[in-house]
Amino acid sequence: MQLYPEQFWTYWEWLIEKNGLRDGLFLALILAVIGFLVGLIVAVIKHGPGEGFLNVSRLIGQLFTVDIPKLSGRRIWAIAKLAIKESIRKKVLVVVGVFIVGMMFAGWYLDQNADYPARLYISFVLTMTNYMVIVLGLFISSFSIPADIKSRTIYTIVTKPVRPLELFLGRVVGFMTIGTLVVASMGILSYFFVVRGLYHEHEVVSTDPEGRTGETSRVQRHRHTFTLNESGVGQTNENKGHSHIVKKVGDKYVIEGPLNDLTARVPIYAKELSFTGRDGEANEGYNVGYMSEYQKYIEGDSLSSAVWRFDGISPNLFDKAIGYDMTISAFRTYKGDIVTPVGGIIYFRSLDGKVETERLSFKVKEFQTDRRVMPLKVKGARKNKDDKFEPAELDFFKDIAPNGSFEVVVRCQDRGQYLGMAAADLYLRPNDLYFFWNFIKGYISIWLQMFIVVCFGVMFSCFLSGPVAIIATISALVLGFFGFFVDDMLKNTSNGGGPVESLIRIPIQSGSTVDLDLGNPALESGIQAVDRTLVYGISLLKNSVPNFGKLGTSDFVAYGVNLFGGLLGRHFTIAFGYFLLTCIVSYFFLKTREMAA
Amino acid sequence: MSATLEQPASSAPSSDPTSVIVETRNLGKIYRDFWGRKKVNALKSLDLEVRRGEIFGLLGPNGSGKSTTIKLMLGLLFPTSGRVFVFGKEATDVSKNERIGYLPEESYLYKFLNAEETLDFYGRLFDMPASVRRERTEQLIQMVGLQRARRRQLKEYSKGMTRRIGLAQALINEPEFLVLDEPTTGLDPIGTREMKDLILKLREEGKTILLCSHQLADVQDVCDRVAILHQGELKELGRVDSLLKVQDTTEIHASGLSEAAKQQIKQIIESQGGSLKKMDNPTTTMEELFLDIVRESDQRPGRRGSGT
Repeated sequence: MQLYPEQFWTYWEWLIEKNGLRDGLFLALILAVIGFLVGLIVAVIKHGPGEGFLNVSRLIGQLFTVDIPKLSGRRIWAIAKLAIKESIRKKVLVVVGVFIVGMMFAGWYLDQNADYPARLYISFVLTMTNYMVIVLGLFISSFSIPADIKSRTIYTIVTKPVRPLELFLGRVVGFMTIGTLVVASMGILSYFFVVRGLYHEHEVVSTDPEGRTGETSRVQRHRHTFTLNESGVGQTNENKGHSHIVKKVGDKYVIEGPLNDLTARVPIYAKELSFTGRDGEANEGYNVGYMSEYQKYIEGDSLSSAVWRFDGISPNLFDKAIGYDMTISAFRTYKGDIVTPVGGIIYFRSLDGKVETERLSFKVKEFQTDRRVMPLKVKGARKNKDDKFEPAELDFFKDIAPNGSFEVVVRCQDRGQYLGMAAADLYLRPNDLYFFWNFIKGYISIWLQMFIVVCFGVMFSCFLSGPVAIIATISALVLGFFGFFVDDMLKNTSNGGGPVESLIRIPIQSGSTVDLDLGNPALESGIQAVDRTLVYGISLLKNSVPNFGKLGTSDFVAYGVNLFGGLLGRHFTIAFGYFLLTCIVSYFFLKTREMAA
Repeated sequence: MSATLEQPASSAPSSDPTSVIVETRNLGKIYRDFWGRKKVNALKSLDLEVRRGEIFGLLGPNGSGKSTTIKLMLGLLFPTSGRVFVFGKEATDVSKNERIGYLPEESYLYKFLNAEETLDFYGRLFDMPASVRRERTEQLIQMVGLQRARRRQLKEYSKGMTRRIGLAQALINEPEFLVLDEPTTGLDPIGTREMKDLILKLREEGKTILLCSHQLADVQDVCDRVAILHQGELKELGRVDSLLKVQDTTEIHASGLSEAAKQQIKQIIESQGGSLKKMDNPTTTMEELFLDIVRESDQRPGRRGSGT
């Protein structure tokens, strides 16, 4: 799992500082203008310019002056209840049964030898729930209104004082009530499946003569070794992503259940990551070629370093030590001793650089999270009056981070080797939160995705027949799921130009790396202008459908990272934005549709 | 964006909305295919009024434009030309529906609901509080005689029962104006009689009723005025009693005449070999009138209706 600092922005940071609100409003404005123009053109063709313009203006006016103010909760709930009954009649709840069957046979497709069974189990249940509820939402929402139109039951609804928005909202509320029931059922079943499935107990099978170290029995295809302290308490080694507490009571050993496999870490990211070069000068880190798009590298056995700056860290978050996780990669310029990992040193220091902890060596654990701690009472050094470091016993929050700000410095020890890191690759890890709440948040995230699917499904069903509505909704989902392809396409337009330029290059056999040469600069500029417009249109289309890739949060739960409220809030806001969009589009289509045509 | 929208007051109907419930002005509807090509000219320049307190019959053979007219009045379709006003408002104005009850041609109801749930659902659509819904549901179930079947799903209902629950849902809001499309279809003779009695009772309560039916005897029995449509055109419009009079025939029934007068009439009649009983215009049946109009219309297409 790759974490990015933007996933940990606070809600307001995203909304205001990072222009989430501005971008959303801009997109809404563009869509509103396009919608108005399309509506105007259709109305003008049908009714002429004067009446056409009046009709469209009146339609927009009625939305705000009549149709929104006169919305009735009772009517919306009546239609919602009908949708619920209809869904139950269609045996929608059977999907929960299918889910249970899927879990019963989970052993067939879950790798029993996985290094991290918890991740596997959690990913499995979340992914299965995610796909099932999205497909469910797709089907129930896309066929409902077309079925009413086909059976003409819609006649008895729209001849009552039912507003178009109520028809849309009623369906959405009804389907989401059923959806909530399904997601909640799946969530409860999944939780017990994960917790019960991962729970196991070992027995001690062998110990040394003193009974201080030993080995556990093999359960669930793994075993542990352990070492007890003088009071007879200890912890096993970590295997399969967890460990166990071992206690010696009399002559017997008691091994508790798995520890740390179901967690919700709360990473605190640095405000800034800066680099220094091999001579200690500030730089942006070294680029070692096409290894990673987001990591930068520091050089070994030099003054080159990576410095993470943390601000506003409260002592209340840490009990005995500062926990921190590192995911640092190595880039070898020579093979050397390939078995021995590349080494580095790490230390914490005050912002003024006058106090620092002792420098600790470490070996890079590539492709793994290296969990480490820095005790609050720690040995270190402090600069004296002569600006020279003297050994000192330090209290972390008193000496190094008196106002909650400090720096973490990483250097590479091995000459000629490089260590790679990005801002998110080192984070502080305060006390973990409950896995249960993180699990619920993961399911809320799935619920939000279903909500968006239902909104789109109902919207398309307002003006398309059932099968076509389902295809349209799937298209929106696919565009959302694979939005990054569109991003790539947009980024690569400089190579060979946009769609029109590329098309022209084919017959004239022009290579994509050279500038287009048609012998007419004005024509070339014109083609590029058309391309820019087309590419912008594609990007707008991509932005107007939800990016399900980014809305998915199952990795957070599976990898034991707390799903931040800010991120969930952001997803709620995005879902609400799409809800408003589909509301308005549905309103105009329902208002202008002849139900009996 | 092609709707005929809720219009402002400036384009209000010409008639007094307190006495005229429905007014159509030059109303026309052309059905087009996907490419906008004309398929059927379903309704041509229809002008008619439905007045407060009357039972108005809409007659016509299949494809004559009756259902199209009703759908235009209810806002289920938008006119190609002309206007239609209900309670002085455009037909697409949703607020007019608060005063309308509609029984569709076939009761397009949700088959998985039972009678109580059906009436409760439609009551909610009128934003009625729970206590009022319960009261109305009880009254209507009693009125249409579905007490024993109140908890059965509509899919188990016979056609007659379906018409009755359809009528009940049309009355849930105590409408001022009722649109009944083929209300007696599927009913047995007793049910038909009860339905007609109910329609007359509703008129006595002051409701205005638009009745669309193929059952000519029913129309003759209950309607005050009728409009007869054929091939999308209005062929006849007027009071039922005057339309059914045979104008070129004389029928005489008489009593209490003076001897002299009797003698004179008697002489004339006896000279023709008969005896005088009654003097009046005879009436035909609605069925004969209807068939005459359809035959004539087939022979000589074109508008004929002259409303009164």
